[in-house]
Amino acid sequence: MTQTGNVVPEKVTTAKKRRASWNATDLGLIAVFAALVAGSALIAAVPVGGLGVPITVQTLAVMLTGLALGPGRAFSAVGLYVLLGLAGLPIFSGGRSGLGILAGPSAGYIIGFPLAAAAVGWLAAVVLRRTAGRSGKIRAVLLFAAAMVSSIIFVHALGILGMMVNAKLSLPAAFLADLAYYPGDVIKNVLAVTIALSLHRAFPDLLLRRVRTAPAGPASAHP
Amino acid sequence: MSGHGFLLANYVPGGSPVHRSPLWLKFLLVLACGMASFLIADWAVSACVLVLLCGVFLLSGAGAARLVRAVRPVLPVLAAIGLFQWWQLGGPTAARIVLNVLVCVVAASILTATTPVQELLDGVASLARPFRRFGADPERFALTIAIMLRSIPFVAGAYADVRNSARARGLERNPRALVLPVFITSVAFARQTGEALAARGLGDAEDQGS
Repeated sequence: MTQTGNVVPEKVTTAKKRRASWNATDLGLIAVFAALVAGSALIAAVPVGGLGVPITVQTLAVMLTGLALGPGRAFSAVGLYVLLGLAGLPIFSGGRSGLGILAGPSAGYIIGFPLAAAAVGWLAAVVLRRTAGRSGKIRAVLLFAAAMVSSIIFVHALGILGMMVNAKLSLPAAFLADLAYYPGDVIKNVLAVTIALSLHRAFPDLLLRRVRTAPAGPASAHP
Repeated sequence: MSGHGFLLANYVPGGSPVHRSPLWLKFLLVLACGMASFLIADWAVSACVLVLLCGVFLLSGAGAARLVRAVRPVLPVLAAIGLFQWWQLGGPTAARIVLNVLVCVVAASILTATTPVQELLDGVASLARPFRRFGADPERFALTIAIMLRSIPFVAGAYADVRNSARARGLERNPRALVLPVFITSVAFARQTGEALAARGLGDAEDQGS
């Protein structure tokens, strides 16, 4: 009885502390990145390569949000986008919207977006912290691996699940249907990583400030 | 604020009983249709439900053209799924699968066609209220939603500007040149917005002293 009484308030205060660490700039970043994902889903596709195969930049924006903002803020930004799209704003790709999306075959992909953004954000923070002094190439390769792993585990797996639940496809059929998204995904993740690295060069404190101050704090207090 | 126009595209003003019923009732209708799509086993039942929901949609005065426009985006995918499942599982099952998805889509578009965007957003913002004791802050949540809505026209404008300048330099086929400047200007915009909020004492957590 007393044990549970002790545990619950402690949980609340930690949640509050975590939330309180988001200042006004973080709120601005969350809101603007949610708008970026929405805008990227709405604008016309970008032609890629010599053939000019058009790709939509929506999933690019989702992964880039994770790479740029780190897990917590990226999950909030992409989650806000999904929430408002489900509430009826026409901000899903093709101007679709509403709760009806959850009944359609693409439901799994949309649910996977916030989770993938959080996963790639967590991995990106680890990679950027561990490779602080290394060359850009190692960083790029590791970030690309992080983006691919996150999108396979969350976007593709949940996408397949969504097609199985809503379209009643068998697992092999859903897997084959999902396979069509892989080439575009690889291109978009390469692009997302190069853009994320430029973004971190333009705004060095976008993600690393929070990561670097953690080890710097005890180190400066040491002597 | 012409940039917000597209956000209002789904709402049809009116005074029908559907318009006047509260948001939670319409939300429950959508939820019930979502649940029913897993329970209904007979395609004739889902066809009846679909006809009934189309009737409700037309009763609201939104018009048949709106109904077609709400359903049209999902039709190609549903046709492909229907044909594939007809081949795999037979006609009645394929019909049930397709009709159940249509039921959910029509139910959801009843909600969006008869509820003003502002009311929908208030509904979303009120979702945060039960989580207040876990550290959620409904006012900051609503503020973030407002900033996001205001930023969508900015992002769309940034994409248009960057596309023009990339074309002027002959880079309209370089995806990096088309996307990177948008993100850089947007991050700068987000920081300015954050500073403007902080300068007005908005957006920071209230209980920082604790």
